[in-house]
Amino acid sequence: MLELVNVAKKYESPGDKQGLSVLKDISLKVESGRSLVIVGPSGSGKSTLLNIMGALDHPSSGQVLFDGRDLASMSEPELARIRNKEIGFVFQLHHLLPQCTMLENVLVPTLADKKRSSIKELRDRAVQLLQRVGLEKFILYRPGELSGGQRQRVAVVRALINNPKLLLADEPTGSLDKDSSENIADLLVELNRSEKVTLVVVTHSLNLAERMGWVMELSDGLLKDRSRQ
Amino acid sequence: MSLWRLVKQSLGFYWITNLGVLLAVMVSTAILTGALVVGDSVRHSLRMMVEARLGKTQIALAPQNRFFTAGLANELADELNTETAPVLFVRGMITDSDDKRRANRIEALGVDSRFFTVGAAQNPFGNNTEQGLVLNEQLAAKLKVGVGDEVLLRIENPSVMSRDLPVSPDSDLSVAFRLEVTAVASEKDFGRFSLRANQVSPLNAFVPLGWIQKKLGRDEQANLLLVADSPEGNISPENADKAIKKRWQLADAGLKLRRLDEQDALEVRSRRIFIDESLSEAATRASDKAVGILTYFVNELCFGDKATPYSMVAAMGCSPDAGSIIPTEMRDDEIILNQWIADDLGAEVGDSIEIRYFSLSTMRKLQEQTASFRVHKILPMASLAVDPDLMPDFPGLADVDNCRDWDSSIPIDLDKIRQKDEEYWDKYHGAPKAFITLRAGRKMWANRYGNLTGVRYPMGAISVPNLAENLLKTVNPSSVGLFFQPVRQRGIKAGGGSTDFGSLFLGLSMFLIIAALILTSLIFVFGVEKRSGQIGMLLAVGFSPKMIGRLLLIESGILAVLGATLGSIAALIYTKMMIYGLATAWQSAVAGSTIQFHANPTTLLVGALAAVIVSLIAIWLTLRKQVSRPARELLAGDPQWQFFTTMRFSKGRTGLAIAITAAIGAAVLLAILGTGDSSSVSAAFFGAGALLLIAGLGLTHALLKIVAGSWNRTIATLAGLGFLNSTRRSGRSLAVVGLLACGIFLVIAVGANRHDLLADAHRRDSGTGGFALFGQSSIGILHDLNSDTGRRSMSLDDPSLEEIQVVQLRVRDGDDASCFNLNRAQSPQLLAVQPEKLQERGSFTFTKVTEEAESKEAWNLLNRDLGHGIVPAVGDYATVIWALGKSIGDQLEYSDDKGNNFKLQIVGLLKNSILQGSLIIADDEFIRRFPSEEGYRMLLIECPQQKIDAVTDKLSFGLKDFGLDLTPAAQRLAEFGAVENTYLSIFQLLGGLGLILGSVGLGLVVLRNVLDRRGELAMLRAVGFDKKTLRKMIFHEHSGLMLGGLICGVVAALVAVGPALKSPGAQAASFSLILTIGAIGISGMIWIWIAANFALGGKMLEALRNE
Repeated sequence: MLELVNVAKKYESPGDKQGLSVLKDISLKVESGRSLVIVGPSGSGKSTLLNIMGALDHPSSGQVLFDGRDLASMSEPELARIRNKEIGFVFQLHHLLPQCTMLENVLVPTLADKKRSSIKELRDRAVQLLQRVGLEKFILYRPGELSGGQRQRVAVVRALINNPKLLLADEPTGSLDKDSSENIADLLVELNRSEKVTLVVVTHSLNLAERMGWVMELSDGLLKDRSRQ
Repeated sequence: MSLWRLVKQSLGFYWITNLGVLLAVMVSTAILTGALVVGDSVRHSLRMMVEARLGKTQIALAPQNRFFTAGLANELADELNTETAPVLFVRGMITDSDDKRRANRIEALGVDSRFFTVGAAQNPFGNNTEQGLVLNEQLAAKLKVGVGDEVLLRIENPSVMSRDLPVSPDSDLSVAFRLEVTAVASEKDFGRFSLRANQVSPLNAFVPLGWIQKKLGRDEQANLLLVADSPEGNISPENADKAIKKRWQLADAGLKLRRLDEQDALEVRSRRIFIDESLSEAATRASDKAVGILTYFVNELCFGDKATPYSMVAAMGCSPDAGSIIPTEMRDDEIILNQWIADDLGAEVGDSIEIRYFSLSTMRKLQEQTASFRVHKILPMASLAVDPDLMPDFPGLADVDNCRDWDSSIPIDLDKIRQKDEEYWDKYHGAPKAFITLRAGRKMWANRYGNLTGVRYPMGAISVPNLAENLLKTVNPSSVGLFFQPVRQRGIKAGGGSTDFGSLFLGLSMFLIIAALILTSLIFVFGVEKRSGQIGMLLAVGFSPKMIGRLLLIESGILAVLGATLGSIAALIYTKMMIYGLATAWQSAVAGSTIQFHANPTTLLVGALAAVIVSLIAIWLTLRKQVSRPARELLAGDPQWQFFTTMRFSKGRTGLAIAITAAIGAAVLLAILGTGDSSSVSAAFFGAGALLLIAGLGLTHALLKIVAGSWNRTIATLAGLGFLNSTRRSGRSLAVVGLLACGIFLVIAVGANRHDLLADAHRRDSGTGGFALFGQSSIGILHDLNSDTGRRSMSLDDPSLEEIQVVQLRVRDGDDASCFNLNRAQSPQLLAVQPEKLQERGSFTFTKVTEEAESKEAWNLLNRDLGHGIVPAVGDYATVIWALGKSIGDQLEYSDDKGNNFKLQIVGLLKNSILQGSLIIADDEFIRRFPSEEGYRMLLIECPQQKIDAVTDKLSFGLKDFGLDLTPAAQRLAEFGAVENTYLSIFQLLGGLGLILGSVGLGLVVLRNVLDRRGELAMLRAVGFDKKTLRKMIFHEHSGLMLGGLICGVVAALVAVGPALKSPGAQAASFSLILTIGAIGISGMIWIWIAANFALGGKMLEALRNE
């Protein structure tokens, strides 16, 4: 469902007319329902790759095809719609809205959809999802009243509220302690299995990487397959 | 969950930031709306002043020195079905019983109960119609008297004949009465009555109408008539003029009819002696048998070495069958003598007789003229030749028994009067001794007051009723000064066209408003920047930038509306503070008037709405950059790095381009306009200064970008690090520099324009014209105060007055068109001068004159012929440009004494002069148009500086019966200057407040900058920097910005006010300016210190952690 074809990304660099190549000739095909983890050292371009996959950034060259459609050919509103309906994001810093309750935070993505379903339906789905992650008692709590792990679980639920096909997680456990990291890793794996949502995770946590079906390493701008067969 | 809920939650959660935004919007609303409400208050106060001045008066008949019957008021009340009030108005002066306090130029009004009915007030005289004196509050306060106190009231004694005529006596110009104050009239009691739309309240003294009529010998007469609006609301000058035409009587025109039994004739005469031209024409045409008569008092008739002194000579129309002595065949160079004078001179038919007489000249200068005639006939004494009734009722001549008792301003040499002359007077009284044709007589004796002294009709030629009807129907009342003026309409128009204090205060407060708006947008954007991660997340989950922008605008909109609502309430407080200022420290800006607070709900709404709109615009301009940033940048958590990176290679081209263009523009402006006339030079320098300010800011912007983008040198000092840090957020840094620079620019530009008009005030080209004293009198001074004769006549032949030179001006009362009057003058006061007197002296300086004329010859422009009905006029710059809203070449419409319209055309503008408030025309034109104005009521006196006090004492004492007020000319000039300086003070105060807000903005920027970099600063502490060092670095960073702002502002401002600093009299006020700039600098440093301390407080090392 997601295909990268010869994707490259360059940044301007002082004293180097050719620029700094972060990604060089990345080609990748991710089928529906698969889970992929991308590992690599700091500064290798993992987040950049994830941003390109999630239509948050554009490649310098190459194509990004989502369900066969080239993202480069889409307008900003179309891209926003895809990010809203087809893709879910989980960030290292959860970016929950501190002024909203957990339930409200989960429902934030639904506000971007002008043709969204009835509020009751959405609310029920949000509560259901929060129940799945064991946070049903905290739906009216604000982020400041929860632990880091709990917040990240809410961020994951938020990413799923619109039933996306693709879930992108950028260092989802990077800010968490060991136990919380384990919980999140379990949650992601379980969601991939039960919701059949394609999962792409960027991490330098080996523990999390081992839980995924497919491991690729990003190094020197190139992607190498490191998964066990 | 809904968007509205998200907005509400955000508003509540970030309440601290939002409170800051709300307060900033509240401040800008309070100032903006408050300024507009000040305008409302001033307009309301001026409207109230119209009510206080006029009561219910709609129109007024104010013929200026002409009297009509008080009964006309009843006639018009009946005809127009409304209330009317006759008034007898004279000018005067008043002192307390000890003569310690004096009020000159008061208005004494003889009134009855109808006056107070029209004024919608209680009659303070009560039932007392015989005597009493009511002073208005202002007059009572000036004299410090109250009910029961005794005062001396001196009022002018209107003459039946103009005192400018030589035959008119120049004594008894005023009469005095010792009276007890019976009441003090407040504004509610119609005490502030005035027909002029002036700011300053008149000094009114009210007396019973009957009493003053009796005292002045003006029984049943009035010279002012007020008409209230009718229930139908249809009172207009046109209707009222028609009503006069319908109801007036001969007595209203000053005419009387009498039967002359001996002559078997009817005669028309005027109370004013000389019959107005329009009346004489009508009287002459009333019957083909009418005989016009012009009788004059001549010095002597001579034949050879013989002379008959002081005789009447009558010029008559030729109509023998109408009883005229003049036969048809008599020529204009011929004369008929009666037998008496023929015998006295030994003259016979055919002999040449000389008539010597005094003609009318300015300042009562008597010029003796001579005319020769050939004796046509000699008439025996027992004939029509002896007709004492031909002599008009010349005051001082006709009403005495002996020649020696004659009282006229013509110098009568008593030694010349012989016994036979006395016998002639006893027997024949004023019977003319000689007769000439009417044409010949008019050539010699016709004047601006009339060309006949009587018209006769043989009995039977026309009946009395027919004659009266004929005259009343033929003559237009306006031709004798009886026409109504729309005083209420003018008053409302004057108030409506007044100085727009709303816009004025808005302009004065503009910097403060801009500072508040910048603060609003700064605080809001800082809040948004703190939420950049949230915005990134929203973008990532599918919100479009437009949606996010809309959300944030809704948030800011709600804050703006709330802030504007609270600000509208605060505006009322702000307005009251401004009004308090206008009543105390700034009272010269409103000429001491009381401004009443008045808030129009519409104004509050408009102000609030405007504040909301400009706040939203200010927020949006700064916000759009935030919402257009890519999501990845916002999500990265440290957006300034990305921002910094993208600016990596900036060469500051935009800023440089702006700087170079603006600098070139400044140079071009100076080159083109910098050497023209003074006003264009000032404008050029100011424009150049403003452009240099823009250039400075452009350069600052470029510098910030270049350093941020291309700085390759290694920083090795704390100061250098601070400097580099200031370039990281160039937008914020520029905002701070810009705010301070603009503020300093305005403060200096204003400060340097505070003129000390008194420097070089002794010079003739200064605003005083080189005059030491400025005088205004209640009663016109008739004589030339520069001549020995004149001074002797006025008992002013004291040695201390020998060195004085006086320029005397006539005055036609009107609206005050000076900066003391907030109303827009509709009919400014007119002054008349002999232009050559000022031209020779080189008095005053002209800022501009009409094209093709030289400034040095500008006074002579008053004699220029501009065509029929157009009179050249000169005015002070402030009067013409600001008070009247006119310019060179513009015209104003006036009416003369006869109601004829003419135009005044502005030909010259005076620079900052003591003549502000009036328009000046040539004396000749004035006399032609306003013959009823007697004497000179304004004096410009030149005397040695060391003798000013002595001259003031002598003149004040010598002319006290004329109610002379003397003010040092420099003081008068300073009073005008004080108004301008007051406005500048207000501007400086408000500008200073704006700068303080700007300092708060600087503090916020510091706080924000430091909070943004808490992690970085914590790192510095981790590597060994202590708090003190960090504070120093922050100080270097931001004080550089402050210094940049000050330098930009100071340099640009000094260029802008260059001419003002060089011109004589300009007050650089360097000390106060340095103080102001110092205060701003200190304020800025205090805010930097506070913000830095606040930001560096707390546990810095926690910032090293992610959360």
